[in-house]
Amino acid sequence: MNQPERNSLRRHITRRGALRVLAGSGAAAAVALTAGCGSKDERTTLRWWSPQASPDQLKAYKAQIAAFEAANPTIRVVFEATSDEGYPAQFATAFAARQLPNLVTHLPSFAAQQYYAEGLLEPVDDVIKAIGIDRYFAGANEVYRTSDKHYCATGIGNTAADMLWYRKDLLAAAGITAPPATWDELRSAAQKMQRDGIYGAALPYGMNAMTSLIFIGFIHRAGGQVFSPDLQVAIDSQPTYDALAFFQSMREFCPTGASNFSWGESLTAFVSGSTATGIYSGRVLANVAAQNPAIADAIGCTTYPTMSRDIPAWTYNDFPCLLIPKGAPHLAETKAFAASLYQPQLYAQQMHAAPGHVLPVLRAVADDGFYRANPLITRYAAEVDLMTKAATAGHNLGQETAAHKPNLKANEIIASNAIAELVQRVVLNKENPKAAVAATAVRLAELMRA
Amino acid sequence: MPDAAAARPPGAGALERRDALLGMALIAPTILVLGAVIVYPLLSAIYLSFFSIYTPTLEGHFVGLANYRDLLGSGGFWSALVTTAIWTVGTLTLQILVGVGMALLLHQNILFRSLARGLVLFPYFLSTVVAVLVWRWLFNDLYGILNQMLMNAGIIAAPVNWLGAMPNAMLSIMVVGAWKFFPFVVIAVLARLQTIPESLYEAARIDGAGPVSRFFDVTLPQLRDVLTIVILLRTVWDFKEFDLIYLMTGGGPVNGTRTLPLIVYNQAFGLNQMGMAAAYAVSMMLVMLVFMLAYLRRANARSEADSAA
Repeated sequence: MNQPERNSLRRHITRRGALRVLAGSGAAAAVALTAGCGSKDERTTLRWWSPQASPDQLKAYKAQIAAFEAANPTIRVVFEATSDEGYPAQFATAFAARQLPNLVTHLPSFAAQQYYAEGLLEPVDDVIKAIGIDRYFAGANEVYRTSDKHYCATGIGNTAADMLWYRKDLLAAAGITAPPATWDELRSAAQKMQRDGIYGAALPYGMNAMTSLIFIGFIHRAGGQVFSPDLQVAIDSQPTYDALAFFQSMREFCPTGASNFSWGESLTAFVSGSTATGIYSGRVLANVAAQNPAIADAIGCTTYPTMSRDIPAWTYNDFPCLLIPKGAPHLAETKAFAASLYQPQLYAQQMHAAPGHVLPVLRAVADDGFYRANPLITRYAAEVDLMTKAATAGHNLGQETAAHKPNLKANEIIASNAIAELVQRVVLNKENPKAAVAATAVRLAELMRA
Repeated sequence: MPDAAAARPPGAGALERRDALLGMALIAPTILVLGAVIVYPLLSAIYLSFFSIYTPTLEGHFVGLANYRDLLGSGGFWSALVTTAIWTVGTLTLQILVGVGMALLLHQNILFRSLARGLVLFPYFLSTVVAVLVWRWLFNDLYGILNQMLMNAGIIAAPVNWLGAMPNAMLSIMVVGAWKFFPFVVIAVLARLQTIPESLYEAARIDGAGPVSRFFDVTLPQLRDVLTIVILLRTVWDFKEFDLIYLMTGGGPVNGTRTLPLIVYNQAFGLNQMGMAAAYAVSMMLVMLVFMLAYLRRANARSEADSAA
């Protein structure tokens, strides 16, 4: 382009002209956007939150959503994944900003109890009635009973989260004929099975919720409790010292990085074959099948050993539940959708998405041929039945035993990491257990008063 | 001496008033935006810190200075303040050393210089979550390449516990922080290096200065201003760093890497104590205010020096 042509072009493209073009483009874009808004989806939208969102689970949820939407063409359901460690923050902000999901599933029972006590949840009695309370395992909803005689949530599944997973081949190679039933047997087995590249156990020592939740189980397996049935702090007792001593004695049989373990790392350690035993839920089954099928025939599980045979097993079940935040719109539609999630075939498919990990709360589904026909559930029928039984009788800090009152501060106690810190102080820092437990007892009392 | 007012042309007062109104109208949007995004949250945080507030409902009651009394009386605040200071000084030192070194390298006529200048920005643009996931795998004792390489080289006999023991955890997050944020130093320093007159280096060479002398006697004095600003800004940013530390260690082991921002988060969303969280945040702000005042003072001094020149 020569100079006269460039000058001519400059004369034609003036700043005012360019601004006109920009303004025209902006107006056109605004019209297009407005037109787009006019054609937006007119259906009622329900938002569903869950921290359980593996690809297979998402597929099962989509099937449940599709079935509900087909039966209710004026409603659409949007699924949004949350996280196990992050849900307290997500909930706090959602409630504070009044940007509430309509339905939440797979939160622990103690979270539901706390939110209900603060007036943040709708009772779900209608939902349970629509599903049919007789279809649940006996007493499955007792953990959601509130002081005002309502249900703050209902079980969407059960989880036996702290089963002892073991490698039969490594036990046999170590000359051990039966899975360990006591701490001494477990320690001895871990010692015998530990060799180059394989550690004896995958216990968590991290500063996180998993360490707190798992260690509470060890206090119970020593015959103790964190709170008395009337919710007085009871952690400063001999069973807690015994549990700490056991945890400390097992540290040498756990991977070096166990002091930063949370759920994912602990699971992967066992599934990858890096540890001879693991502590986890039935998620192990699907992960071993997908990631390390070479050990699939060699794995088994049992309830985690106790300090001695006369102490009964104590299984951590977080009681994954379904709850409805108060103040979210479209309550009737939400309750209808909630009840639809328990339609037997689709509910079984949801369980199949994480076989053995989320266990059915509906008795009929647990015994149903369709549910049991899943290849992993068939292959590991004994383990799944054991987990189902253990989870049904399970507990968590929200209600440590059947005799305990619901602990409405359990959610905040776990979030405070006070118990994980106790474990780290004693096991990693080698602090005096008595002083560390006493300090933790004071901290728990403060949290209960707050 | 003629009266100034009498000397003004007729209608000048009205024009000035119109100019003043126009000026106010032009600056009003800026003031409104700054008020909405800075002044309101700031005043809101200070206001909240005088209340005991349950986060999900934002309901609570006035407690006056009780949050500050509890905060200052607890060992947790002071211990976290020390941890925050250690983290800030450690990671900032690494960022400056690596950043200046890399900027000097990229200022040379090296092969693929343009490509290298582009690639060096990569950590800065990478999402912190992704960066942390990658680094956690690198540090992993069972599958991490770092331990594997060190063991293969015979430097260590068993895997090192990079994130679960002290002081390893603190050193590890300092390294990751330095890796993530050193490109900011590179950008700033490289830009300044390109404006240093070549004649200064030629004069130094004629005077017999070697590379080290030229760096300390020519380059470093020329970088002083930009490094001061970079250090002040990065100090403030590192002091309030949250996501990297939270995702790397969660504040552990025990409270070895528990910095003040982690406590603010836990108070607000773990314990649902928004008032106490606000008190921690305001206390942090007061500490950072020192850095901000130093920055403003520096900026004003520069401005005055430029005006004088």
